[in-house]
Amino acid sequence: MILQGIAASDGVGLGRAVCIREVSLDYSNVRYSGKEREKARLQEGIAEFERRTAAMAAQIRERVGEKESEILTGQIAMLADPFMRAQMEEAVESGSCVEAAADSVCTMYADMFAAVEDELMRQRATDIRDLRGRLLAILLGASDVDLSQLAPGSVLVARDLTPSMTVGLKKENIAAILTETGGRTSHSAILARALELPAVLSVPKALEFIKDGDGLIVDGGTGEVILNPDERTRREYLKRQEDFQAQRALLAVYRDRPTTDADGRLYRLYANIGSATEAKAALHAGAEGIGLFRTEFLFMNRTSLPDETVQYEAYRAVSHTMAGREVFIRTLDVGGDKAIDYLGMKPEDNPFLGHRAIRYCLDRPELYKVQLRALLRAGAEEKNIRIMLPLVSCVEEVRMARKLLEACKAELEAEKVPYDKNIALGVMIETPAAALIADLLAQESDFFSIGTNDLTQYTMAVDRGNAMVEKLYSVFQPAVLRSIRNVIEAAKKAGIPVGMCGEAAADPALIPLLMAWGLDEFSVSTASVLSSRACISRWHGSEAAKLAQETMGLSTAAGTEGYLRAAAEPA
Amino acid sequence: MVSAKTKVINPQGMHMRPAQVFVSAMKNMDCEVRVLYNGKSIDAKSIMRLMASCIKQGAEIEIQCNGAQEVEALKKAVELVESGLGDL
Repeated sequence: MILQGIAASDGVGLGRAVCIREVSLDYSNVRYSGKEREKARLQEGIAEFERRTAAMAAQIRERVGEKESEILTGQIAMLADPFMRAQMEEAVESGSCVEAAADSVCTMYADMFAAVEDELMRQRATDIRDLRGRLLAILLGASDVDLSQLAPGSVLVARDLTPSMTVGLKKENIAAILTETGGRTSHSAILARALELPAVLSVPKALEFIKDGDGLIVDGGTGEVILNPDERTRREYLKRQEDFQAQRALLAVYRDRPTTDADGRLYRLYANIGSATEAKAALHAGAEGIGLFRTEFLFMNRTSLPDETVQYEAYRAVSHTMAGREVFIRTLDVGGDKAIDYLGMKPEDNPFLGHRAIRYCLDRPELYKVQLRALLRAGAEEKNIRIMLPLVSCVEEVRMARKLLEACKAELEAEKVPYDKNIALGVMIETPAAALIADLLAQESDFFSIGTNDLTQYTMAVDRGNAMVEKLYSVFQPAVLRSIRNVIEAAKKAGIPVGMCGEAAADPALIPLLMAWGLDEFSVSTASVLSSRACISRWHGSEAAKLAQETMGLSTAAGTEGYLRAAAEPA
Repeated sequence: MVSAKTKVINPQGMHMRPAQVFVSAMKNMDCEVRVLYNGKSIDAKSIMRLMASCIKQGAEIEIQCNGAQEVEALKKAVELVESGLGDL
């Protein structure tokens, strides 16, 4: 049986399930023992909480690191908040038992943090819920979950991993982590990556499917969990695990190296991200900048447009995290398969050929200007933000966007608000039209970035979701390769930088071709940064040039791909 | 009552650790300490309220102190904020 969750920490883990079922925190049988007695219990409970938490923090500091231990010392500081304590005491005075008082006050604060705009601050809600659970456990006399005595090869299965649970955890005994809740930025995910343990999160009802002692395979790269695998599957994954570990050790040496080919020629290697918090992970993974920051996340899961302040803060957070490094931010790419309810976009017969991305934004200048203003302002300090226009198909679109940008600058100038006066404005090349007039667009753009997914789909006129035609969808089609070459050449001739932010930029078969044509910047997923750097380092310029010339003499996708793949195999 | 305007310069703003630094310096001052930000008046002895107000890097804030140690508290508060709350 295969369960699917979110891939949160790469690697393959094989082992036996250890299910962590939370202790009961039911206090409905606790009777109120009088004001003074309850207050004394509150004091004792808090003192015990501080003692245990400080001890845990000390352990985590030693085992994992200073930063991870701060989550726990922070909980002590929160519980020391005079207001929070006063509110608990008030509840006790008015007849609640300590458990009920602690529960309601903590829940109130957790809800308050869960509702704030700041993405990082929202995570404090998790800390307060952990604090609540442990304080209640202490008050009820229940013991903490103890994970220090696990047998080697344990796969932890839990609703969620709380900071306190992970204290006694011995990395060498854990094969993998599996939870029912949490995403890539949750505490469990961060911890798993810090410990380099494979993790799959948000597997629905994992604790109902899995029993203690079940055999499990956790693939933290794909998010797959295989329950009670047969012997053949087990052997296959053992092999994958070995390969992964060997690969990880091999790649680690590339983390702090510049990106150069075998002759020492420098390239830029950036990461694609979809939210502000991912920038840190990208930096940690060795990315030299952000080649594509998708802004849609800011607009989704809401009921109205994010205002200028909300956008400004998100862009500025990334700008600061990446200080001294470039950040290419793509303006709102809605429409096609990406609908946003409150924008009231009308259904279209042909959404992928319809009113989407730059076309939509230019028709809604009042909405687009909010984003442009936020970008201009966010770049004021670091001057590292670049504005990227999606789905451009003619020169007029660039001119109109630039006109709007100039209007925003004039407004900010008049309002005396700081902004980046020289912010770069460039084009994402994603349509055959843009590829064909790349020389004209280059006259009006500060940079190009090639988006291979859409470029392939539109060049081949193929819906990649349609199984009957998807075999035509390949970046190795000579038509697509010629388009890419044409775009890079036009950029070189005009003297503007050109990058690629589609999935193809991380494909070891395509990398030497792009190097030979003179692509300046490769933007890949965070997980592919090191493997791409390693791949680039293996090629000599002369070999790549020869390969490119031979490849372009071939007339089919099977031919070009086969030829490039054979050449890409590390000797 | 005394007050002063200042600007939060540390990258994290009033996140967990900087807020802890600020609150622990203020909590034993014999006066009321409030931070005015974004139209709200926040009690600076409460780490929860301080964090929940999401004060970011670059935020212009006003600090108000009222009570016996108000001058000392205000000086200390401004000095801490301007030196980056241990987050630089």
